[in-house]
Amino acid sequence: MWLTSKIKQLFVVAKPGTVTLPYPFEPRPVPENYRGQPYWDHHKCIGCGGCANHCPARTILVRDLCNELRVMMYDGSRCTYCGRCADLCPEKAITMTPQYELATDDKRDINETMELFMLTCQRCGRCFDHEIKNAIDKLAYLGYRYDNLEMRAVIPVSSQTFDKELYEKTKTYKRPEKIGE
Amino acid sequence: MPSIDQVKNDLKEKFKSTIKGFETPLPTRLFVDVDKKNIRAICNAVIDMGARYMVSIGYDNIARDNTLGLVHTFSFDKDNIFCCVRTKVPADKPMLDSITPDIPNAGWSEREYMDLLGMQFEGHPKPKRLILADDWPKGVYPLRKEVPWNLMPPAAEDVAYQLDEAPEGCTTVPIGPFHPTLHEPAHFAVYVDGETIKGCDYRGFMTHRGIEKLCTTQVTYNEVPFIAERICGICGSVHATSYSQSVELAAGIKISRKAEYIRTFMLELERVHSHLLWLGVAGHLIGFDTVFMHSWRVREPVMWLAEKITGNRKTYGMIIIGGVRRDILPFKEDILNVMDKVEKELIAIKNAIVGDTAIHRRTKDVGYVSKEDTIKWSLVGPVARARGVDIDTRRDHPYAAYDAVQFDVPVVDTCDVWGTVLIRILETFESIKIIRQVLRDMPVDETLLYEFDEPIKPLVHSISAVEAPRGEVVHYLITGEENRADRWRVRAPTYPNLQGVPLMLLNNQLADAPIIIGSIDPCFSCTDRMAMVDLKTGRQSILTNEELERLSRSKKV
Amino acid sequence: MDILLIVLNIVVFLGLAPLYEGIIRKLTAKVQSRQGPPIYQPYLDLLKLLGKDNLVSDNWAFKLAPMMAFAAVTAVVTIVPIGFKANYLTHYADVITIVYLLTLAGISILLGALSSKNAYAMIGASREMITMIMVEPILAMTFILGAVRMKSLAIDASMFSILSTGYSWSVVLMLVVYLMALQAFVARQPFDISEAEVEILEGPFIEYSGPNYALFKYSMMLKQMFYAVLFVTVFMPFLHTGLFVLDLVLQLLAVAVIFVLIALLGSTNPRLRIDQAVKYYAVLIVISLCTIALSVYGI
Repeated sequence: MWLTSKIKQLFVVAKPGTVTLPYPFEPRPVPENYRGQPYWDHHKCIGCGGCANHCPARTILVRDLCNELRVMMYDGSRCTYCGRCADLCPEKAITMTPQYELATDDKRDINETMELFMLTCQRCGRCFDHEIKNAIDKLAYLGYRYDNLEMRAVIPVSSQTFDKELYEKTKTYKRPEKIGE
Repeated sequence: MPSIDQVKNDLKEKFKSTIKGFETPLPTRLFVDVDKKNIRAICNAVIDMGARYMVSIGYDNIARDNTLGLVHTFSFDKDNIFCCVRTKVPADKPMLDSITPDIPNAGWSEREYMDLLGMQFEGHPKPKRLILADDWPKGVYPLRKEVPWNLMPPAAEDVAYQLDEAPEGCTTVPIGPFHPTLHEPAHFAVYVDGETIKGCDYRGFMTHRGIEKLCTTQVTYNEVPFIAERICGICGSVHATSYSQSVELAAGIKISRKAEYIRTFMLELERVHSHLLWLGVAGHLIGFDTVFMHSWRVREPVMWLAEKITGNRKTYGMIIIGGVRRDILPFKEDILNVMDKVEKELIAIKNAIVGDTAIHRRTKDVGYVSKEDTIKWSLVGPVARARGVDIDTRRDHPYAAYDAVQFDVPVVDTCDVWGTVLIRILETFESIKIIRQVLRDMPVDETLLYEFDEPIKPLVHSISAVEAPRGEVVHYLITGEENRADRWRVRAPTYPNLQGVPLMLLNNQLADAPIIIGSIDPCFSCTDRMAMVDLKTGRQSILTNEELERLSRSKKV
Repeated sequence: MDILLIVLNIVVFLGLAPLYEGIIRKLTAKVQSRQGPPIYQPYLDLLKLLGKDNLVSDNWAFKLAPMMAFAAVTAVVTIVPIGFKANYLTHYADVITIVYLLTLAGISILLGALSSKNAYAMIGASREMITMIMVEPILAMTFILGAVRMKSLAIDASMFSILSTGYSWSVVLMLVVYLMALQAFVARQPFDISEAEVEILEGPFIEYSGPNYALFKYSMMLKQMFYAVLFVTVFMPFLHTGLFVLDLVLQLLAVAVIFVLIALLGSTNPRLRIDQAVKYYAVLIVISLCTIALSVYGI
């Protein structure tokens, strides 16, 4: 039994030859619909925030700097590459690129920031409804947070507009050590 | 052979007024509300009717009626019934009887809610800390709603878990927290007498990611499948499917037949690669690296196939509530080719190793657990099927398209590690068979995704089980307001099986410990899924190189 | 001339031992369908380890053990005749010296393991000890067989016994036993029990790193080359041509063949448990004892 098994095993191992790839020298081409690093096309993006709303990792930040300027920021270090954002984008502004070699010594290398000029409403002069029922603030209600991605501080607070004071606060933000602090 | 009505009548007859009500949202689901006084007797009665204990779910209901809830779930495998026994205890005095003395597998579940909800169980044989870190402050119960999801209590250096006393004359051999046998952190303290194992204590739950709390406070229903998928690196689709099913059951969503077939396909593809992975790991654990390399070589085309179909090797991201994201039909040819190739290669490997006496010597009669003990400890999956217990969720509680495909459930009664090897190889062939049937029978022109706009009703309980490669995965869901779950409980198959490991290790050689622990295909990250936060991140403990070197050098012997 | 032969001995062993290890690694990789490391990788490994910082525990035995092991094995390889030619030092020792020195190398491993006071090292040490007790007799019997036939304990007499008196049944039996014990001599699968990575994380060597570990590793490589050379010299006398350089080359090629065998056996077998291995060794010891008995009667 032992010997016959060994002979069979030799057949199994003799057949395939070397199968490991010389990887770093010759990267294997990835399939067509591979979900690699997402890419935002700022020409197509209308700043609706749908991607931020549906991101399971909550890794996309949408903030209005003023009435006309909306900043969208993507933090690649937290991304899970599920490709949900690309699925849901109404303008198909997000593509999942075949790029998978994302190792870097600086996390900012895989972040992406867009500043979008929003059109103002001709009737009210605002680019977005700033009432409490506006969609962005609803995000907070859904668990979306005001994140200062640069400082890696995660803050469960959302504000109606971006103000400098809050931004300063996030720089020195410390996690509460006790409940209710 | 009890039907759902028989179970109802039996319980009503025996316990009369302590039963407060029944609820049967589906012909296969029975929820029984009972008084906490009789919980132990009722659970015993359910077990006596032939049920198998699955898991307990504790939940915080303080904001609504100042109680903590507890659900013991049971499965009647021959009759396709899930029976959930629900009870409540007042939050200020959360005391109730432990069911662990009769149902040993409930031990961990109960310890979990001691840690997380502050419940107290009278008569629990081992009321030690299970989930929380050793330096977590007493009296803070992270699963209660009042505790914020990102609470980070200060870390302490001087607390350590007290292992059980070693039996007389035994020395303690640590396997873990980091050990090449365990691919994830977990600590088995093995008590050995010479080389023979006389006992074992387990301290795990070191990879807490707080997923359950996170998903009930931070994201909505729709995002959870992707997070659920990342509970486990090997059987992700299983968790996504099970979660999606539990939401669909709660909301009354019926997904299209085609989506069900695609889900079946994804689950089986996952089983093929998972079993090949396990076979390799098992080879590695007994020092047979050639088996390891070659079964992984056979597995690689499966991974590439998955990459082609779903866009990624492992975290497929295919399954969402209401259906699936991508179609598999454009890849029909590829799938069939890969399956043929895998089947051929696997047959060759199987022939080469089933007769190998060198492998028999390391696996036969190793990790013996009798069939009676297996049933008593409610072990699941290949571990149970290798010990003659004929359970398989795919057949017993059909979900997705499993009611339409033909397959065998291999069962052997060697009661040892060799049995689990055999079962896993045979199951891989069955999976390939199922995949072929799926491609043959699948409807072509149906929608992949069911659109659902209405809000989901709050406080609906639902339970869903899926057969993962390692055994049965149970997801219990209580729907909530705000478009997110109020409570979501995941029970991975390793959770019950790991509790049986001390039983398997007993009286075996230390050299066999790796393969015995490996034989349940342990997935610690699945098991550890919950609790709160990694304490380490809140603490500044960066050692400089010099300090580290000094520390290592000054180690006194 | 005498000194040249001794230097040659040392150079051949120290220089080629890592290469043979490389052969095993490359072949194992090929069996496993991998690319595998280049064949000179063990040299690089040794160099790298030697260049690292030495992390030692505060304990003299812990520091002494690797040096002792390396010294003992180097002493053995210095006196072993290669190319069917005894060198000047060979006559200063006898077969018992060789067995002693090899045991000393084993004892150094135990010493290092026990002084590191690691739970895994302890288990590794106990397994190493059992292996040593069970395997050394087979080596001793090989020498004694020659000694009985030549009625001399001198190393060259014992090792060249088949060369000078030819094969017999007892020799053939001993050859089989030696082959069956080969994997145990070189501590490869299925008998790498005392190192067993997934069970006890390299057992006795767990606390070693840097140059100390390099010395242990080097001495293990030397030891496994010694066992192969011993086999070739004792049981393959037909390689003897009389021309020293040719003999040496032929012998080294034969050693490479032995290493191919070791690699194949090692990569197609799972590790045994210590209790199973002990039973196996016991059978081998009994057979080798029978061989000695047979050879006494001149069979």
